[in-house]
Amino acid sequence: MSAPVVLSDVAQAFSGRGEKRLAIDGVSITVDAGEFVAIVGPSGCGKSTILDLIAGHTRPKRGSVTVGGVTVAGPGPDRMLVFQEHALFPWLSVADNVGFGLKATGVDAAERDEVVQTWLAKVGLADAASLHPHELSGGMRQRAALARAFAMRPEVLLMDEPFSALDAPSRDRLHVELQELWSETGTTIVFVTHNVREAVALGDRVIVLSSGPGTVVGEVKVKLARPRVVESARVVATAQQVRGLLDEADQMGIRTPREQGDGYVSI
Amino acid sequence: MSPSDARATVASSPRDLRRGLPILVTGIILLALWAIAAVFADALPGPGETGQELWRMAGDGQLVSIFVRVTLFMGVCFSIAAVVGVLIGLVLSARPAADRGLSPYFAGLQGMPTGMWIPVAAILLGTTPLSLAAVVTIGAMPAIVLGTRNAVRNVPPLLTRAGRTLGADKRTMLRHVVFPAALPGITTGLELGWSIAFRCLVAGEIFSGALSGTGIGAVIQRSRETGELTEMMATIMIVLAFTMLVDRLVFARVQLRLRESRGLIDAGLPH
Repeated sequence: MSAPVVLSDVAQAFSGRGEKRLAIDGVSITVDAGEFVAIVGPSGCGKSTILDLIAGHTRPKRGSVTVGGVTVAGPGPDRMLVFQEHALFPWLSVADNVGFGLKATGVDAAERDEVVQTWLAKVGLADAASLHPHELSGGMRQRAALARAFAMRPEVLLMDEPFSALDAPSRDRLHVELQELWSETGTTIVFVTHNVREAVALGDRVIVLSSGPGTVVGEVKVKLARPRVVESARVVATAQQVRGLLDEADQMGIRTPREQGDGYVSI
Repeated sequence: MSPSDARATVASSPRDLRRGLPILVTGIILLALWAIAAVFADALPGPGETGQELWRMAGDGQLVSIFVRVTLFMGVCFSIAAVVGVLIGLVLSARPAADRGLSPYFAGLQGMPTGMWIPVAAILLGTTPLSLAAVVTIGAMPAIVLGTRNAVRNVPPLLTRAGRTLGADKRTMLRHVVFPAALPGITTGLELGWSIAFRCLVAGEIFSGALSGTGIGAVIQRSRETGELTEMMATIMIVLAFTMLVDRLVFARVQLRLRESRGLIDAGLPH
């Protein structure tokens, strides 16, 4: 199951700040059904705001956001958001966490059990079903969060730097697993990251944003064979190309923070 | 059953002993200090005399009677206060206008000594256990209301966002996300409400001997008339045993369960 996502000429302010600063301005992005799109940019460029808009946690100040041709009016189980922190419910077991959304949307117990078992097995957590989140490693927690999102069979999966707090080996494994799950389910994925190599390794297409306020400065199609890993020479070469776009934006006077700066973008 | 559940319910006896030992040692030290104090203060009965008095009270049924009546009075009043208080707290956290209008008054009521209402209730409702029960029940509520409301306010937004993303409607959010996330804070509010309720009970007994019907007031009355403190000290021991039991069997257990299931006890697990 998958649906196309279309943002046209969207502007949105950062939420909950006294002075309303624009997070993104004039952003237009089209994601085809079943496409895996990575959005990369420095911190503060409104990447997370874009996901919030698609998820329906905020409404755009200007422009429109549609999923499957329908304007987004609020959060819904057709769009799952995976956060940088796992956001698992600490008082529930892993199995209950994965089954939470199914229970909330009225799936009966027998079917729920089956779906939960299936997804726990797929992310390699079958043995950890009865453990609580605090008894898992960082990588396992993020796997559980992935299983919880996929178990809802979303049309669109929105991922907000989900692996950036993980150690490198866990991250590399999850990159490969995510690509496998994506090709198996065909879900549309919008993956936000500040890591250029990660974006190139995962995306069919990498959309490059600049900050202050966020605008699209270009995009790079990635046609390498999957599953890709961040160390592969081709991924690194394409990452240079994406990095070039970020630098260009910098020279155009659009601020892209540089090395050691606050929002430095690593290749 | 998760490992943390197993830890909470299946406790081996050497472990029980290890846990119980510090409590026992502290108890013996306190008794020794009491005995020394009683040597210097003539009017203060020592642990020995008090023990004999407790034995007498156990023999003629006064001990059990006080214990049961305190349990009954506090149990009924506190249960009502807990249910109503938590419900009001949840409503306040969901309705900002009600919160702005009511919370300052609840804060004021929580701060003031609840016992001040006892004469008012005694005259309006008569000097019956009912009037004191009303004051104790309503007096315990503000702390529970505010504890609940603050606990809900402190629920991490990430969890509510996750809940909404997963398709939870308002009722599911409240029952399965907000309430469990706020439970540690709600428990703290309940403990505070409990101790306020107990203070209020004794204030009622000092105001008028038979107000709670627990028999504590009658003991206070007798020691006031005779200046003899043995029965009073024995009654204090009974009440202390009661509050310690409630803490060990209810509050301490609940807190431990909550902390274990939420991973707030460092057990050297992977991070």
